[in-house]
Amino acid sequence: LSSLFGEISRRDFMKFSAATAAIFGLSPTEFAEGASEVLAATTASKKLPVIWLEGQDCAGCTVSFAGALNPPIATLILDKLSVRYHETIMAGSGHVSEEAYHATVKAGGYVLVVEGSIPTAAEGHFCMVGGRPFKDIAVGVKEIVKDKPIINLSTCPVHVDHLVGTVLYYLVTGKVPPLDDLNRPLMYFGENIHDNCRRRSYFEAEEFLQDWNDPGQQNFCLYEKGCKGPDTFADCPVRRWNDGINFCIDCGAGCKGCAEPVFYAEMTPLYSADAAKSIDEIKKRVRYGTNTPSNNHSGREV
Amino acid sequence: MGTKITVDPVTRIEGHLKIDVEIEDGKVKDAWSSGTMARGMEILLKGKDPRDASYVTSRICGVCHSVHQLCSVYALDDAFGANVPTGGTLLRNLAMGAQYIYDHPLHFYHLCALDYLDIMAIANYTGKDEKLNAVKDKVVGLVKTKDTYPLTPRYKPDEYCVNDPETVTSAVKHYIDALSMQANARNMGAVFGGRQPHYQSIVVGGFTQLPDVNQVVRFQTMLNEQAKFINEVYIPDVLAFGTGPLFPLAKIGLGGGHYNYISCGALEKKPPEKELLFPAGVIMKLDLANIQVQPFDADKITEAVTYSWYKDGKPLRPANGVTEYDLEKKKAYSFVKAPRYDGQSMEVGPLARQLVAKNPDLLGLVEKGAKPGVVARHAARALETKAVVDACYKWCDQLLTKMTKPGFKIHDTEHWEPPQEGSGAGFYEPPRGTLGHWIKIKDAKIENYQCVVPSTWNASPRCNKKIRGQYEESLIGAPVPDPDNPINVVRIVRSFDPCLACAIHLIHPKTNEIKKFIVA
Repeated sequence: LSSLFGEISRRDFMKFSAATAAIFGLSPTEFAEGASEVLAATTASKKLPVIWLEGQDCAGCTVSFAGALNPPIATLILDKLSVRYHETIMAGSGHVSEEAYHATVKAGGYVLVVEGSIPTAAEGHFCMVGGRPFKDIAVGVKEIVKDKPIINLSTCPVHVDHLVGTVLYYLVTGKVPPLDDLNRPLMYFGENIHDNCRRRSYFEAEEFLQDWNDPGQQNFCLYEKGCKGPDTFADCPVRRWNDGINFCIDCGAGCKGCAEPVFYAEMTPLYSADAAKSIDEIKKRVRYGTNTPSNNHSGREV
Repeated sequence: MGTKITVDPVTRIEGHLKIDVEIEDGKVKDAWSSGTMARGMEILLKGKDPRDASYVTSRICGVCHSVHQLCSVYALDDAFGANVPTGGTLLRNLAMGAQYIYDHPLHFYHLCALDYLDIMAIANYTGKDEKLNAVKDKVVGLVKTKDTYPLTPRYKPDEYCVNDPETVTSAVKHYIDALSMQANARNMGAVFGGRQPHYQSIVVGGFTQLPDVNQVVRFQTMLNEQAKFINEVYIPDVLAFGTGPLFPLAKIGLGGGHYNYISCGALEKKPPEKELLFPAGVIMKLDLANIQVQPFDADKITEAVTYSWYKDGKPLRPANGVTEYDLEKKKAYSFVKAPRYDGQSMEVGPLARQLVAKNPDLLGLVEKGAKPGVVARHAARALETKAVVDACYKWCDQLLTKMTKPGFKIHDTEHWEPPQEGSGAGFYEPPRGTLGHWIKIKDAKIENYQCVVPSTWNASPRCNKKIRGQYEESLIGAPVPDPDNPINVVRIVRSFDPCLACAIHLIHPKTNEIKKFIVA
């Protein structure tokens, strides 16, 4: 990994930055104007400048990112990335941090990460940062960038592997990874949770967990406890969470559909089976994933 | 009229916070704390299945994640009439213990330490320690490439910043070590919690994961590593700084505030016995010579919205609280409400808990002249982290004994379905202080949901009686000799470990002009 970060060529850097800038919402023109200047200024360091903006968020994605162990978070933030602006970790405050923000934006060529939502009601005044509506800082990414894909890492919070892995993918290939129709990388969101669930055989046998105290039921399907696995696309059953220590379905709570855009509005009630989706209906779909229009598995190269 | 300065954003905290201070003769004369982001979780929950509340309210905050999950299930347990089996309580406590162990050291090293270190002093380190020289090489390497983000830019180091090369180098080494420790502590939380941040396994009635012996042993092993760091690095660092270079700040009691403290009590030491790891109690106008602790009475909590962007009204008990915006209110300056106990502005958090508990180690520091304030807050945090570690060992032992016997239970399955009607309240002491959740259920759906959150207490604006919030009060008198370098302002605010995503449940600033916010 260190060699990847350390030996990236200028051409790769340009490619990577162009792609990333577009993805996270920086105007391509703004990027092009500033790129050469920032490259000259940081030739010695070769670290990728990063601006990480927190909108209407809970900082859960920041915390998830800070849990990186391989590579360790210290390596990421001190050796590999140049974290110019990140409210939760930067040394400066107030005008000092604002100056770093503006200088980096002016120079261009940075990676922009947007965490949380962008409140637009009441002229954006429901979320103010540095005296500006957050809406004006991170204008709807899709509104600015029309001809480039946007990468959407959609679990709540982001899975650290998804974030770090997506950045690595660019560095290695210079490309945006194949995306689904919701702009999620297919390598992470291409398959349905129900398809890969270790409790799947119990679902087929219609053995559903009723009592969390009973060791005889502890591996049963969580459908009747409200598991949203059949409606959710993510690699959690394979990748698991926190270095593979555990995840939602293994701990007996079930999937709550946090990777889907309809979370939470259409996933409620979270802890009981959705009466609208019968067991028979779910069973009709042999590979459930192939039947959802929003997720056509037709990953595209960019 | 003094000089007015604005610190916006206040960084190295959770959420969006703006602090305005008026400075006269080099000291803070007045202060305003403004939360600048709205949430609205309470509104989101109306009409939903009550069991959803614990999952959704966890998303109030991703740093002190899951404390809302726990407090919410306390309120739900109350409303559903659930009797949580001891196994369920032990698992909940272990998950929350891991949360403490991740959260407190992170606050000291990653959110605060940079306020007390002249980091560039590392260049002058001339010792032979191999590991410290590795740190020196790393930082000098950053300087050589002219890219020292995120360690700079920064406020200028002042007279209280430590610049002894060995102390600074060793502190920066611990900053880097602590980055791995917090990541490992998060994984420890996931052993029982399911994942971290945002646990999954805490639900109304108990817990969703029957533990196996391997998991408990894994947790214990990870705990050993954390305990070693906490006992050998974190606590010695905090005490060495507090009684050494930062003692002058402790002596002047920087960041003292109102000297009113509250703890609602939390975490049974040996469930089902009722004795708590953090006892409940209230201290009004602290007298260090004679600390009087009154019983905690939740009925004395009210919330005022006089200076907040909500529809005006009398202070209400949280159970009957309303959340309706009024973005046009002229005198409002924050989305944070103003909770008061018996009409008074209170401090919540580690210092409050450890004063209520009359922690002898903390009182020992106080006897040496460390007045309650910024430094004492860091000390209380470190001391209680050790108490949590010790409790986790005991909970693991108790769990191992119980779980290997027949009939072991983790959940009250009889009370899983929501009642048609009901109401409940839950109280917990997360790392940042007193937390309460209130729920009302009608037709088996959520009719009303309200939270009073630690940072709501500490970050509150003035109330109907114009009493300042605790951040505001604790800033009064703070030395700010150079208005361009308000380092003491952020030291004070950060010592509370602000969590604004929690504090604010609804808000508005139409204008950001400070004049509009001045309270007559």
